[in-house]
Amino acid sequence: MKEFQFGKWFSVRLLSFVVVLVVCFLLDRLVQGSYSRFLFCLAGIYVTLAVSLNLINGITGQFSIGHAAFYQIGAYTGAVLAANKFSNLAATKPFLWLFLSVIFGAIAAGIAGFVVGLPSLRLRGDYLAVVTLGIGEIVTIIAKNQPVLGEAYGLSAVKIQSVFFVLVLAVICIAVSRNLLKTAHGLSFLAVREDEIASSAMGVNLTKIKVTAFVIGSCFAGAAGALYTHTKGFVSPTDFSMDVSFLILTMVVLGGTGSITGTTIAAVTLFVIPEWMRNIPYVQMGTPLGVGIGIIAAVVLLRKVQEKFHGSGSKRLGFNLGSIAVGGIVAFVMAKVLVMIPALQSMVNGQLFRMPVLAITLVVLMLLRPQGIFGHHEFSWSWVQKLLGKKPVQEAEVAV
Amino acid sequence: MSILTLNQATIKFGGLTAVDAVSFELNKGDLFGLIGPNGAGKTTCFNIITGVYQPTSGQILFNGKNITGTPSNKIAQLGICRTFQNIRLFQSMTSLENVVVGGFLRHKSVLGSALMYLPGAIKETEKLKGQAMELLQMVDLADVANTRSRDLPYGKQRRLEIARALATQPQLLLLDEPAAGMNPQEKMELLTMVKKIRDNLGVTVLLIEHDMKFVMNLCERIFVLDHGEEIAQGPPSEIRNDPKVIAAYLGEAV
Repeated sequence: MKEFQFGKWFSVRLLSFVVVLVVCFLLDRLVQGSYSRFLFCLAGIYVTLAVSLNLINGITGQFSIGHAAFYQIGAYTGAVLAANKFSNLAATKPFLWLFLSVIFGAIAAGIAGFVVGLPSLRLRGDYLAVVTLGIGEIVTIIAKNQPVLGEAYGLSAVKIQSVFFVLVLAVICIAVSRNLLKTAHGLSFLAVREDEIASSAMGVNLTKIKVTAFVIGSCFAGAAGALYTHTKGFVSPTDFSMDVSFLILTMVVLGGTGSITGTTIAAVTLFVIPEWMRNIPYVQMGTPLGVGIGIIAAVVLLRKVQEKFHGSGSKRLGFNLGSIAVGGIVAFVMAKVLVMIPALQSMVNGQLFRMPVLAITLVVLMLLRPQGIFGHHEFSWSWVQKLLGKKPVQEAEVAV
Repeated sequence: MSILTLNQATIKFGGLTAVDAVSFELNKGDLFGLIGPNGAGKTTCFNIITGVYQPTSGQILFNGKNITGTPSNKIAQLGICRTFQNIRLFQSMTSLENVVVGGFLRHKSVLGSALMYLPGAIKETEKLKGQAMELLQMVDLADVANTRSRDLPYGKQRRLEIARALATQPQLLLLDEPAAGMNPQEKMELLTMVKKIRDNLGVTVLLIEHDMKFVMNLCERIFVLDHGEEIAQGPPSEIRNDPKVIAAYLGEAV
């Protein structure tokens, strides 16, 4: 059995703490330009949202599709408080206020999560999904009709963009999920996902675990909401529509339900790709066609690799990456060749392709990897060592 | 001393009386068998005892305390744990993790400590893992500790379920058809294992089983159920020759 060493534990904690703060601070300095900062903040907020939903959907297995409701509650809490009670503080000490705002947002959303979760988490599967969907709508409709909440127009709040805060929140959210999974508590959360009857027979209190997961998830969504308010400087009900709930859900499913690593990567990817594609104003018909052919080539190759090759992790990864690279090259070449064909030289609006491309990519991914990019796997140092060909340090190894 | 008493336990599903006024008493350290034809209400009995269903009438006493209507998880905390007829492991978790979940109800750290990965939670987790490993060794599954439970062969899954139930440190263990789907060799091993659990850990065992050779060899007392009603109760030698049991379940000796 592995002995617990306090010294090692403490130094690793302290080191990661310092490294995270330094990296977040440096990134805060490095990311310049208001548009990039805005996007960077939003990406971080979406990571927090997706990872917190993963705690509810992926780890505890409670299918919630109304996560935007708690995001919205956090955002409006921040906005209302900044406009009224704390307007002085927000103006004089913006970062202190930002910190408080995050706390208030988290508390408000956490309370809402508790109130909503306690009765509705007795439902399972589809029924819970319908209830959470309804809650998402209810919160939006309340915001649309309450004069205090700015009705359909929304509320403006003081703009305090802080990449540092956003990143730290995302890291805390990831760390909390990961810590949970490393302890016996997390295993009981997973057990609820795997089999409710069996976990209850093993003495696990289902309601308590489900509500706890829901409240923690809601708290982080609320905290992310408060940051959103101050990142954008303005909130309106349309920012928290059903689409947002579904986007967060897609991030979780795409990344691999239950995988923190997968969810994080999927959140960044799904947010960045559409934003990046916004910058493509007009394209020749040949370009998207070429890209399409490239995607098909990559898919066919990936299929072949999966059918033919059952090797170890690192080789398999190599082949998969290789297939994607070949697909990329095919896409590039085809796009260059196709634009030379006069019939395909007419210009089309690039925006036309933004959402369809995303949709097609999702369909393809789900067909190829229904368990999501990472499946149930997580990034770990022993995995990296295995990829590098070293003998892995067996973390889970127990003396027999 | 009586550890479990069923007092006129009855459960009705609409017009069907699945268990009808069943009464029996288990003493501490018993190896007690519950047999009967399919649909006799054996698993329903288990479900009443473990709080999955509430009896329509009647009482269940555990160590003299009325536990009728107590929720499942509370009953597990009191010291009754079970396995399932159709195996219910946490499939995508490893064998070790399965057993750790079994031990979770006895662990002491708070959730906050786990969320922050504080020494308290780490130590408790390591302790649970150590205990789980010992249990896995006992049921001879130490070599598959890090294998996902769904990848285990059937016989091993059954043993893992027993290990997981034992991790809750029960006083009373309910085994629902533990030998189903096992070959004769595995059944023999299981028999020794169940005896060992009773002798070494002092756990009282109540089991449902269709393999008569297994039940007659293992159990000291047997209760026969048919159509939800008791038809016989007593030591194996008596049960074997009871005309009612032969007619309802065992069949004539050839």
